[in-house]
Amino acid sequence: MSAVTRTNLASVPSRPRVTARTRRQWTYGFLFLSPWIIGFFAFQLLPILFTVFLSFTDYSASSEFKLGNFNFVGLDNYRQFAIDPLALPSMGVTLKFALIGIPLGLIVPLLLAVLVNSRRLLASSLFRTLFYLPSVIPVVAGTIIFGGVMNAQSGWLNLSLQALGITDPPRWFTDPTWAGFALNLLAIWSVGNAMIILLASLQGVPTELYEAATVDGAGPITQFFYITVPMISPVIFYNITIGIILAFQFFVPALLIGGTNGDPQASLLFFPMVFYREAFVFSRMGYASVLAIVIFVVTMLATGLLFYFGQRLVYYASGETS
Amino acid sequence: MKKIFYVLSLLIIASMVLTACGGGSAATEAPAAATEAPAATDAPAATEAPAAATEAPTAVPTPTIPAPVTTGGEGCAPGSTQVTWFVGLGAGSNADVVPLEKAWVEKYNKSQTEACVLLNIVYNTGSNSYDALRALVAGGNAPEIVGPVGKAGRASFQGAWADVKSLADAASYDLTKYDPQLLDFTSDEGVLVGLPFALFPSFIFYDKTLFDEAQLPYPPHKVGELYDGKPWDLATFQDLAMKLTVDANGNDATSADFDPKSVTQFGFFEQWTDARGIGAFFDGGIPYDAATNSAVIPDSYTAAWKWYYDGIWTNHFMPNADYQNSDQFNKGNLFASGNVAMSWTHTWYTCCFDLSKTSWDIAVVPSIDGKTTAKLHGDTFAIMEESKNKEVAFKVLTAMVTDPELPIMYGGIPAVAADRPAFFAAKDKAAAPNVIDWSVAEAMLAYPDLPNHEAWLPNLADANSLFGAFRTMMDQTPDVNMDEAIAKLKSDLDAAYKKAAP
Repeated sequence: MSAVTRTNLASVPSRPRVTARTRRQWTYGFLFLSPWIIGFFAFQLLPILFTVFLSFTDYSASSEFKLGNFNFVGLDNYRQFAIDPLALPSMGVTLKFALIGIPLGLIVPLLLAVLVNSRRLLASSLFRTLFYLPSVIPVVAGTIIFGGVMNAQSGWLNLSLQALGITDPPRWFTDPTWAGFALNLLAIWSVGNAMIILLASLQGVPTELYEAATVDGAGPITQFFYITVPMISPVIFYNITIGIILAFQFFVPALLIGGTNGDPQASLLFFPMVFYREAFVFSRMGYASVLAIVIFVVTMLATGLLFYFGQRLVYYASGETS
Repeated sequence: MKKIFYVLSLLIIASMVLTACGGGSAATEAPAAATEAPAATDAPAATEAPAAATEAPTAVPTPTIPAPVTTGGEGCAPGSTQVTWFVGLGAGSNADVVPLEKAWVEKYNKSQTEACVLLNIVYNTGSNSYDALRALVAGGNAPEIVGPVGKAGRASFQGAWADVKSLADAASYDLTKYDPQLLDFTSDEGVLVGLPFALFPSFIFYDKTLFDEAQLPYPPHKVGELYDGKPWDLATFQDLAMKLTVDANGNDATSADFDPKSVTQFGFFEQWTDARGIGAFFDGGIPYDAATNSAVIPDSYTAAWKWYYDGIWTNHFMPNADYQNSDQFNKGNLFASGNVAMSWTHTWYTCCFDLSKTSWDIAVVPSIDGKTTAKLHGDTFAIMEESKNKEVAFKVLTAMVTDPELPIMYGGIPAVAADRPAFFAAKDKAAAPNVIDWSVAEAMLAYPDLPNHEAWLPNLADANSLFGAFRTMMDQTPDVNMDEAIAKLKSDLDAAYKKAAP
């Protein structure tokens, strides 16, 4: 018995010795990582924890952020969320935007990437630059420009539509039927980043796959759906994930176009806008914190569901599929 | 050697942290025009509505917002008490005013040894200046003095203002020299939050070039004066506004051939106000019944809103939202476009168009049902309750409100009548070669809207948001049943009032 035990003990690998050199390396490693670690704790984790804390208080932003200015209200803010008449409709506005915006934000840059990747396109570098260019324009500047371009009375878009014979073109930003869709169109303007990522991915697809398919008689459309799409599916999945996260955070253009009331007639009252109003217009930080937590949870759930169901469809050339 | 390496590493890390946390912002001057008054926050308790209040212009969002301007105590005596003056809730953050404010601060700092005034100017666009002040308060760095600030701006920080009367009493400052009505102007829920400083009456700005083109006489400069042989009332005013509204084919809005889809010039616009301001065109009023804590829409408001709505969508002499935000109408600053013949707004609007190149003058507002009403704003400087140097701040405050330079700087008629000639002379100089009939502005002071359109309401922030949305709805939406829309507004207001703390 004792012999067996001794044998077993001998087979256990000995713990690697931590030398002074290794300790020094760890110390320096952490020292150099510390800016990020400090930044993460100070500017991300701590505010998140404070948000959770504030969600149980009635803190108003008009008073100093100190003890004595917080009253604990238990779950009142969460109960308020359940009966808030704006919460559900605004989530509907966000979801509607996401349902149109996410497919558009994938298909348009994919088509552009395929276009600028084509050997038949002249001056492809120029087109890549032109398509990417709007991405470097600040979102505020871009939105204000589009506010002018899509103005129903004097905007180039409606003047062009009228020139084409459409006598009564949409009132893009003043008609609730069109306002949300107009923002979807506006969002397409800056698909350059997604296009560049997809382009890089397209260029990584081995050419021999296309050559073999051509020999087998596959046409360009078949090749696109049976070779290109599967091969770039990890990047498509990445773009969808980012698209979902950004759609739930979509806010600045809506604020600039529709103001804090989400005009016209609350059709641009996105969920983050309701949060913004509560926090920075009405100063109700406690309730605003609940809304922030809801955005966080919903985005997490949506992303989690996407990973659970969507990643099975992704093809990894290395063999790992989810 | 090892120590040196450690120190070096720490220095690198510290510099990385500083770089990561530091922010730089490009400052490009982008003075822009106002569109709507900022929303306000909850109010603790209901009191009698003050006689008049202020709404200073806030600007449309611009791609580049000028960086905050701060001063570092230029001209201060050693050991003097620091008093921070925050500018941004109303007038005072436009690029042309900032150097004047800095010069005033330096001059004041050199003139005495007790206070050292530090300026903090945050450009007033959207809500960023409000956010900046909130951040200062929340961080325990509340400024001592905030202003110029009107009723709406103060309401956004309900309960954050110090009682100036107790400070005045402590300093033996004589408040009896002020007209009691003016002291009411500067009180919120019965608490004096500043000293009377400047008044901003409203009147009709008119573009003489457009009147000359239409060969129409200028509107009256005196209350009771006839216009073209007719009383200066709503019917005459509307008829004039329609004659001054012209489409692309040159037809005016009284013509059967007029095309409302191609208007190139509008006759009238109620610029930069919310639904309560529009209501005040017909008479003063308050949409609240304190006895029942419920919403009551004054009849004058209902009538004014319907007239306004019809003016846009039926009679077409006022622009809808698409026209308002178009390039042709200067994206919200309509009178400055040169394509609007008459605009109803306040003295502070002299900030926002070319006073010397535009051929303009001012006229009295028309009478409605025999009554003349010119809504009134009044600005002040307020001391924050969280301020750590209230007594010294009060001394600075008294210097600010009594210096005749400051009303000129901000375009407000001085609260002290003796200072007014200097104010008008300065305005005349800016407007030359135009000769403006400032007697109109002084005359309109006698017709304030009572109760004032910015008077306190329970849950003022939510209420202001509802009024803002209501005006936008009128501007944007054709075919609205106004009776139903007003009933819905009343119901929403009721809910907002009930939500207010008891």
